[in-house]
Amino acid sequence: MKGLFKSKPRTPVDVVRQTRENLAYLDLNSGSRGGDAKREEKMAELSKNIRELKSILYGNGESEPVTEACVQLTQEFFRENTLRLLIVHLPKLNLETRKDATQVVANLQRQQVSSKIVASEYLESNKDLLDILISGYENMDIALHYGAMLRECIRHQSIARYVLESEHMKKFFDYIQLPNFDIASDASATFKELLTRHKATVAEFLSNNYDWFFEEFNSRLLSSTNYITKRQAIKLLGDMLLDRSNAAVMMRYVSSKDNLMILMNLLRDSSKNIQIEAFHVFKLFAANKNKPAEVVNILVTNRSKLLRFFAGFKIDKEDEQFEADKEQVIKEISSL
Amino acid sequence: MLLQLLSVLRPPPSAMAGCDASGGGEANKYPLNAESYRLLCKIGSGVSAVVYKALCLPLGSAVVTIKAIDLERSRANLDDVWREAKAMALLSHRNVLRAHCSFTVGSHLWVVMPFMGAGSLHSILSHGFPDGLPEPCVAVVLKDTLHALCYLHEQGRIHRDIKAGNILVDSDGSVKLADFGVSASIYETAQQQATSSSSLSGPIHHAPSASLSSSSCFNDLAGTPYWMAPEVIHSHVGYGMKADIWSFGITALELAHGRPPLSHLPPSKSMLMRITSRVRLEEADAHSSSKRKKFSKAFKDMVSSCLCQEPAKRPSAEKLLRHPFFKGCRSKDYLVRNVLVAVPSIEERCKDTDLCGCARGARCMPPCRHASNIVKHRRISGWNFNEENLEFDPTEGLEKKCLPLDEEDPVELESNSTGDQDRRPPQGSREKEEVRFKEVVIPQLMTILESLEMQRGMLVHVLESGGFHVDGNGRHDGRPWRGEGRHATWVRAPARAPGGRAEHGGSGGDDQDCPVGE
Repeated sequence: MKGLFKSKPRTPVDVVRQTRENLAYLDLNSGSRGGDAKREEKMAELSKNIRELKSILYGNGESEPVTEACVQLTQEFFRENTLRLLIVHLPKLNLETRKDATQVVANLQRQQVSSKIVASEYLESNKDLLDILISGYENMDIALHYGAMLRECIRHQSIARYVLESEHMKKFFDYIQLPNFDIASDASATFKELLTRHKATVAEFLSNNYDWFFEEFNSRLLSSTNYITKRQAIKLLGDMLLDRSNAAVMMRYVSSKDNLMILMNLLRDSSKNIQIEAFHVFKLFAANKNKPAEVVNILVTNRSKLLRFFAGFKIDKEDEQFEADKEQVIKEISSL
Repeated sequence: MLLQLLSVLRPPPSAMAGCDASGGGEANKYPLNAESYRLLCKIGSGVSAVVYKALCLPLGSAVVTIKAIDLERSRANLDDVWREAKAMALLSHRNVLRAHCSFTVGSHLWVVMPFMGAGSLHSILSHGFPDGLPEPCVAVVLKDTLHALCYLHEQGRIHRDIKAGNILVDSDGSVKLADFGVSASIYETAQQQATSSSSLSGPIHHAPSASLSSSSCFNDLAGTPYWMAPEVIHSHVGYGMKADIWSFGITALELAHGRPPLSHLPPSKSMLMRITSRVRLEEADAHSSSKRKKFSKAFKDMVSSCLCQEPAKRPSAEKLLRHPFFKGCRSKDYLVRNVLVAVPSIEERCKDTDLCGCARGARCMPPCRHASNIVKHRRISGWNFNEENLEFDPTEGLEKKCLPLDEEDPVELESNSTGDQDRRPPQGSREKEEVRFKEVVIPQLMTILESLEMQRGMLVHVLESGGFHVDGNGRHDGRPWRGEGRHATWVRAPARAPGGRAEHGGSGGDDQDCPVGE
């Protein structure tokens, strides 16, 4: 056992190997519980090794990270199934080690070896790891750790596409509304990342899944009774629809009477923040040059109320763009 | 129902094996709904948050602190709030305040935390030690604070708001650092970083250079698309951590004197002075302290090392712990015997200042002091400054007459600071008033408190059930608890009759449909 010779400075490759050995030990002895001295010892060793990995990747108080060391570490890490073992056994680690492990996994997603992102290739052939990470939202103890790892993994376009196209997307509508604020917000951040980061992939996903996705989005998120869910959803909707790459989806969205009704109700929400975000989507309905008759009908029916509403609709800080948008909306509605 | 969901979400016991207590599911047992808690009394408030002492009913009425953050009013965006909650959930150290759980109640976020019986040091100072704590007690508090800082810095986390108001003490004398509203982590991406800013922190506590540029250096990173180079991170972190050390030094002076240096100046002036005439600041401190109190050489040396103008020359938290000043430091019992016995309980302190517990803008019940005595007072970044007393170096007489600490914000959080507020009772002749107050008003106020608690309970009930009622169509039905249920839904007509013009301009009642501008 090389790890016993503490006198010799360990190379990054040594540290990865020992980490893997520790994890493999946990894997084989998963039946045994606390109180087992050998196991305790291995756990302590593992914690130390993971901390060492972190300090190689991030540097520490005294020294900056060394590129060559990072490359060696990354290569050795993905040569075998270290990432899988680490993810699977994360729930057994103590809090500090979990945090270290999360930071190590996050950093590894960006490490390049001969200008290739090794982590991306590894994940592509181990996509079930994403399933494990996503299911973390169902376990309060590891949700924040798995969530942080997951957000790093979906920086890879191919991995984001896998998650978008998986059945997991439906589960996010539940996760976002979990009662625990930290975890619901984490799920929400991941959801947003999935739907905004990789433009072309997102546009493709939204066009292919338009019906069920916006049905769920409208009925479960925008119409939620939970303040945070609603506020985050309306913000995300604005971000998605206002993105140039989603122009086709936007046109489809703003041609629907039902969508317009939801947005108009959000305009009069008790929350000013929600009102403002709703305005940024509502203005798209008004600005649409080819409004379907049913949309025009609703706008005309409510014209005087809408105009009265916009006359008093102000935001706290000065915002020229907002005022200009408002003027435009008022003009459009008046001219109908 | 929520409890059932919780038990489903909790991992089986086997998954917990191997977890140490800190990483375990201890926090998970706290229920995630307002009905499970009974708010006892308000123990502090800020612009966008109110802090309550409360009972957690399902857990044998365990005493907790609940910080209710108004997300509509909060300056921070939701991501910042989430980041704070996440930071608190993932930190585990005996000197760092950790949240049990957090969940939303209407547009408020409730953060459930351990109850710290003796409140913040800011509150302890103002209620028992206007001229500061005895030096051995200062050492106990600072040492535990340093342990917390060491832990945070080792985690790559910068606190950015170290001050007496954020150091809490439990009834057993244990000390915890709180309030991560503005803390930053280096392990998060540049884009995430860019949104947080140190603007919430008090200028007094910030290093002269750091207070001006630490937020902007994070903003500079906003354009960085992916991961900052580690060496960039490190120079920033080293910098940020040293800003914490500066604040720590100021906090040491605050504990020793009862108030931070230059607090008698308006903040802009104090800021300018710190930047342009640092030497004078230190002279002034040395001068005023020698008048009233004698401090050990070790203390002065420790503080001045923290207040070194050059960030790089300030010691790290870890190194500070080894400073001679902390040698032979007393235990927490010493704090109980010498400090806690001398200050009234949190409940007493709250009665003294803000008993009515009424929300800002709400109408107070008749005998409430607020009704007649609301004095608008400029308040910046968590500190009050006595505007009538702008002399650079006030004489002792002036200080006594003005009782600067007595005038400190009485609504300042007793157990957990949330920052700014702008309301305080009138100044002057408070001692006399207090005697009268205790004899005459307290019994009356107790009655009101009970009544208010009952009303609060009812309000919570309304918020939970009535306020978020969903009608048959799954639509949000407005805000009945604010008496606006009369507003009809806008789009009702076309929804049911696509031709829908008939509804336009309908009955006179329509005027009420306009949600704003009336």
